[in-house]
Amino acid sequence: MAVDDRGPGTVRTGFPDRGERIAGLVREARQGSEEALGQIVTELTPMLWQVARAAGLSAGDAEDVVQTVWMRLIAHLDDIHTSAALTGWLVITARREAWRVRAAGRKHFPAESESFDALPAREPGSEEQVIIDDQRRTLWGAISQLSGRCQELLRIIAFVPRPDYAAVAAELGMPIGSIGPTRGRCLAKLRVLLACTLEGDDVLG
Amino acid sequence: MSSAEEALSADEPLDDTDLSLLDGIRGMFQVADPMPADLPERIRFRLALRDLEVEVARLTEEQELAGIRGAELSRTITFDSDSLTIMIRIDANRDGTVRIDGWLAPAQLRELELKTAPESLRVSSDDQGRFAFARVPRGTAQLMVRPAEPGPDEAGPDGAGRSVVTPALIL
Repeated sequence: MAVDDRGPGTVRTGFPDRGERIAGLVREARQGSEEALGQIVTELTPMLWQVARAAGLSAGDAEDVVQTVWMRLIAHLDDIHTSAALTGWLVITARREAWRVRAAGRKHFPAESESFDALPAREPGSEEQVIIDDQRRTLWGAISQLSGRCQELLRIIAFVPRPDYAAVAAELGMPIGSIGPTRGRCLAKLRVLLACTLEGDDVLG
Repeated sequence: MSSAEEALSADEPLDDTDLSLLDGIRGMFQVADPMPADLPERIRFRLALRDLEVEVARLTEEQELAGIRGAELSRTITFDSDSLTIMIRIDANRDGTVRIDGWLAPAQLRELELKTAPESLRVSSDDQGRFAFARVPRGTAQLMVRPAEPGPDEAGPDGAGRSVVTPALIL
């Protein structure tokens, strides 16, 4: 017997298309399914957290912003029909709301460029629970040399479901090529920085 | 050395290297700045309440007491809302679940629902305002106190019928 079928979850035949699945959930949520709405929340809240934090918000403010965005979505659900439209709307709304909150409490926040550096890549006190390998460290080093805008943009795009890259990139002002999302200045710059750091391509796999 | 990377164009479509870089960036931020694990659950709970007229109770006091079996701790927590004070005491059961005993003040008959990740548990308080959930799975839980007799006009004009919900608890 080639297939281990002792229990559910032991056989994973494929990776369900995330965009399709989210679009289906949006459809059900529009028809009033609380469960579908909940699944969308579970699916995309990690992305919104990063959007809010990338805008320089404290953890508490980021939570408030994420919650506000979801509450606001309820009123807009009827206008949203695709995964890309949903993701784009969420990202833009979260970003605007985060800016608003940040502007309201500006005195509490460091200059924009510091927010990235302040993230705990390695905390000397923590007993290195997290193995940050050389690859991740190299990437971190390269990203921190990018402009604040590129850092924010790449951080957001990295959490967007892949099929929605183009839509979200467009919303964020990245140019879109005729056949889909282009690499953009930020990724191009990052690759040059990495190539310089490594004198080779090995980290890029 | 004239690296090919130097010639990278920003206008080219994303290739596999770009995609794996984005994967790397995602992994990096998941480690460096993780979202609070229970955030989606808390938001789902708030969304589920959006159409209800509810009061959200505040946690006003929390104490840990040495339990009967020494090693086990017992917690007491007090929540206040405008219309109601809810006190609960959480004790560990031997099977890994917890027991919750609670009191409502002022004492009144109410329906109580405890939302946990796997299930929602329902009990009623007695006329002394007492209630108990004998076996509750560990994890996040949220208590909702509803009117005693749900009906078409459950929210009375005096506010006595309003539902009260507590913030999420980690059991």
